[in-house]
Amino acid sequence: MNSVGEACTDMKREYDQCFNRWFAEKFLKGDQGGDPCTESFTRYQRCVQTAIKEKDIPVDGVEFMGPNKDKPES
Amino acid sequence: MKIWSTEHVFSYPWETVIKAAMRKYPNPMNPNVVGVDVLDRSLDAEGRLHSHRLLSTEWGLPGIVRAILGTNHTQTYVQEHSIVDPEKKKMELCSTNITLTNLISVDERLLYSPHPDNPDVTILTQEAIITVKGLSLGSYLEGMMAMRMSANAIKGWDAIEWIIKNSERENVPLCDIY
Repeated sequence: MNSVGEACTDMKREYDQCFNRWFAEKFLKGDQGGDPCTESFTRYQRCVQTAIKEKDIPVDGVEFMGPNKDKPES
Repeated sequence: MKIWSTEHVFSYPWETVIKAAMRKYPNPMNPNVVGVDVLDRSLDAEGRLHSHRLLSTEWGLPGIVRAILGTNHTQTYVQEHSIVDPEKKKMELCSTNITLTNLISVDERLLYSPHPDNPDVTILTQEAIITVKGLSLGSYLEGMMAMRMSANAIKGWDAIEWIIKNSERENVPLCDIY
């Protein structure tokens, strides 16, 4: 599966692989510790947030700092 | 505004269905979903997992509808919040489109829980509210969207079953296959 940001796809896959393993093997089995994927997630998230800003996708909770921030809706 | 709802029973335990639901894309039944991103994810004090995801989809409406809506934007984005409660065995997922919102809104809610009398079976209840805005053909389009929801729901169930069968048969995490 791809990321919205082409440059982020590899990072996303690395994170997904880590997360899916933790989700199936720990979380669903009642292990209450957090996932061990923080590092790959942070890297991936930074990339995605940049892509979202560049594409001006109106996602909640993402700071829009881009040049289109104050543009009225067309 | 049109309200649509349905229910489906999976012949698998909750954990199996949830594993598949979390990694539902990509699958051959939903080729319109071209991207999935996790925007935020956290555990709350009760041990529930919250995920905030962004789905990139190709707007697969018929040409006539695109003409009525007056848009050539085929890519649209959906925002999705989900909560998985491993203790209560409940997964709730809410999604809404975040582009083309001046034309249409589709708010959907899915709930996966074990069958109260049979833990080997999982029930999915699914409901949606469809609103087409400011168009004289609004109710026609809403009806059309509701029909699409029904068709898409079946694809979604097939997708989950497909994920379960494929990941179990090959006995490898699906995320390793691209």
